[in-house]
Amino acid sequence: MSTETTDSVPAEAGPIARAVADGVLPGRVWMYANYHCNIQCTYCLTESGPKVTQRALSPETMLAVGEQARALGFTDLGVTGGETFLMPHMPDTLAALSANLPVVALTNGTLFSRRLLGKVEHLADCDVALQISLDRPDADVNDEMRAPDNFRKVTQAIPDLVERGITVRIATTVESIEDNELDRLCALHRDLGVPDSEHIIRPIVRRGRADTEELGVEAAASDLPSELTITDDGAFWGPFGPTVKDGVLDTDLLVTRTTLPLETPATALLGLIEGRPQGADSTLNIR
Amino acid sequence: MTTIARVELDQVPLLARPYFADGDPGPIVRSLAQVPELLTVALPFIGAALGPSAISFRAKEIVIVRTSALAGCRFCVQTHAVVALEAGLTSDEVAALQSCGPTDAAFHDPRERALLRWIDVVAGGGPVSDEERAAVLRSWSDHEVVELTAVVGATLMLNRYATALALPTAPEAVERLAQEGLL
Ligand code: SF4
Repeated sequence: MSTETTDSVPAEAGPIARAVADGVLPGRVWMYANYHCNIQCTYCLTESGPKVTQRALSPETMLAVGEQARALGFTDLGVTGGETFLMPHMPDTLAALSANLPVVALTNGTLFSRRLLGKVEHLADCDVALQISLDRPDADVNDEMRAPDNFRKVTQAIPDLVERGITVRIATTVESIEDNELDRLCALHRDLGVPDSEHIIRPIVRRGRADTEELGVEAAASDLPSELTITDDGAFWGPFGPTVKDGVLDTDLLVTRTTLPLETPATALLGLIEGRPQGADSTLNIR
Repeated sequence: MTTIARVELDQVPLLARPYFADGDPGPIVRSLAQVPELLTVALPFIGAALGPSAISFRAKEIVIVRTSALAGCRFCVQTHAVVALEAGLTSDEVAALQSCGPTDAAFHDPRERALLRWIDVVAGGGPVSDEERAAVLRSWSDHEVVELTAVVGATLMLNRYATALALPTAPEAVERLAQEGLL
């Protein structure tokens, strides 16, 4: 880990900005916009589904997080859920957030009706990327872990979004994938208009519903990205922190209940990272 | 009975983990751990106020048990009655502290009697007269009175916390008090 400071960081920069510039603290701040979802994936970290409570961040809170993140020296924002586009304010909130910092928003890609496509069109002019989950190149295998008709909806939404000039990233979450299957998946995303640089593959993390289903890899805090993650329940060590098991929020990766001012959880998280033993970084490729 | 959740030992938040290094730290820490940033500030203060310091172990436990009794805190009285016995107080002394009534029959040392009058005034609420302040300062130095008063205050905070949240006394403490006839 480097201890040198980066030249581009002004001398008066605070400890968070310096830690981000030095690569000690990850630059992205995540927000859990909500916890409910229109589908119910087998490996969902948050046990999301249509019947769970929203536990939503208000748009005002999200914008305050975005503004304070920039002021503190963070470099990127991430918005996740739940299904983020169940929140009617999401298209406008993403645009407003991107006025502060670049944004990646996670979505299952199943809600992009003509009406919603119209509402997100303006994101093409914003620094916003939509990260859509697509796990398999075959509809039946893909839908088994996610939801009926998921593959069809997603493979329709992606080109619709790309056509409108919106940056789309594809996230593939799998226990394992054969080379041949991966080749076909990559051919598919290229066909849909998403380049290789916008495709990420990550393991299932054994937390939340994945733990109930005994899926994925066991991960300790040191295995998980330490990106500051803000939820309605508090601030967590990374977006894999605020998971839900048997309807109860996991607190093992809770950092603080205080979320705003953002400096409070950011400082606490930095303290935890700095207190981590040398060489404790993981190689599990969880992101 | 409705009680407050205490974090499970496999769900301890990151900032709270040092306080769980030796196992179950008890219901105050396990409940406060739900708000880690509060725990990490509150515990050093509570430790400094109630833990070893320039004030003797015995005097501190006199303050804690008496204050808790006056505040009607079952959890703190029971928990600290056991600690008070460990600090060398007799069962009669502990019983007198717990009673909320007169203590002169059990306590003969003039300094301890002055301390007990001070505790009763401070923990009892309301104004504190000049005479009462002067009385305690005849037996205890300024810095000691500062600390003893802060211990009363810290204890009262914990009394209200433990009472409001119905924290359970450890079974071993209840058992020990039963043996001593102090329940
Ligand atoms: S993994 Fe995503 S899409 Fe699937 S249920 Fe959870 S929140 Fe919804």
